Amino acid sequence: MSEKILLVDDEKDFLDVMSERIEARGMEVTTAESAVKALKQVESGGFDAIILDLMMPGMDGLETLKAIKKKNPDLQVILLTGHATIEKGIEAMKLGAMDFLEKPADLDKLTEIIKKAQARKMIITEQKMEEKMKQIIGTKGW
Amino acid sequence: MKRDPDPIGDAGLQFFGRMSASISHELKNALAIIKENAGLLDDYVAMMGKGTPIDPQRFQTIAQRIDGQTRRADTIIKDLNQFAHSVDNSSKPVDLNNILELLVALHRRPAAMMQVSLEPRPADSAVVITTAPFLLLNALGLILAFAFKTVPAEAVVTIAVRMDSSEAEICFGGLKALADLSTDQFPGDHENALLTVLDAKAIINAAHCQIIVRLPLPQ
Repeated sequence: MSEKILLVDDEKDFLDVMSERIEARGMEVTTAESAVKALKQVESGGFDAIILDLMMPGMDGLETLKAIKKKNPDLQVILLTGHATIEKGIEAMKLGAMDFLEKPADLDKLTEIIKKAQARKMIITEQKMEEKMKQIIGTKGW
Repeated sequence: MKRDPDPIGDAGLQFFGRMSASISHELKNALAIIKENAGLLDDYVAMMGKGTPIDPQRFQTIAQRIDGQTRRADTIIKDLNQFAHSVDNSSKPVDLNNILELLVALHRRPAAMMQVSLEPRPADSAVVITTAPFLLLNALGLILAFAFKTVPAEAVVTIAVRMDSSEAEICFGGLKALADLSTDQFPGDHENALLTVLDAKAIINAAHCQIIVRLPLPQ
């Protein structure tokens, strides 16, 4: 099953080339040029990973990460930044980011992280299903 | 660490740092796009090696993107170079239209991050004053940073260069929420120190949503 990615960056040229490269690796890519558009896409759901630029006009990457996690805490978010500092990295991880990479990011490394994100999502989905089953069994008293 | 207050020095260092950070960030973005397009060329070569035909138009698209981003990076570096050289002279004749152009170039990205557009309005002819170019840019940069706080997202801040018989003016307009802000906030210590050294005045015209900087013309 191919990974489903949401790519968020205010630079359209970056979105165009990255989405083409990621799609060439067999993944399905949706793009968003702003945090607002990204949050609308998140509502339609189904993403294995969200790749999010840290510095964007209006709502920046960390604010967007908070908003995404509020909508769906299980979503895997990978932050991309032109200037990665330890402080920003720690803040991002505390807010629930899966990883934090400096641009230009190595695409092989990014692909690896996306595959881990999909695996993590599947585990979370399975765990939730198990809990639900236990709940149902518990209430029905079988 | 203990040292004597140096508002001009502090303002200058902070301004240089802010501008350098903004410029380096934008350069990184341009380089990232160039790198990814180079990577895409690699991807195409690999695909062709496996027998997948690639439309030549796609190569042309990549070439155009790389060309566009290289030009962008070149412009950014030219602006950085001009900014760096603004400290060469502590007093020289400058055309305020050129100062306006550089000010807008340096602040386009910070403005975009605040979702604000800058609209330069140069004077019809050269407006030449004798001044310290870096200190003037610093003062105008601080005023612009304050101006960003006085406008909503999607606003347009106009910056006009004007002249009458005795003074030159740089007028920041479109500052819709200027009347709502307390006059304690501006000008602050750094702004006042710079304006004094420049022999300039900053006038807040809340009724017209403007901040006007008046500079003396050479006698």
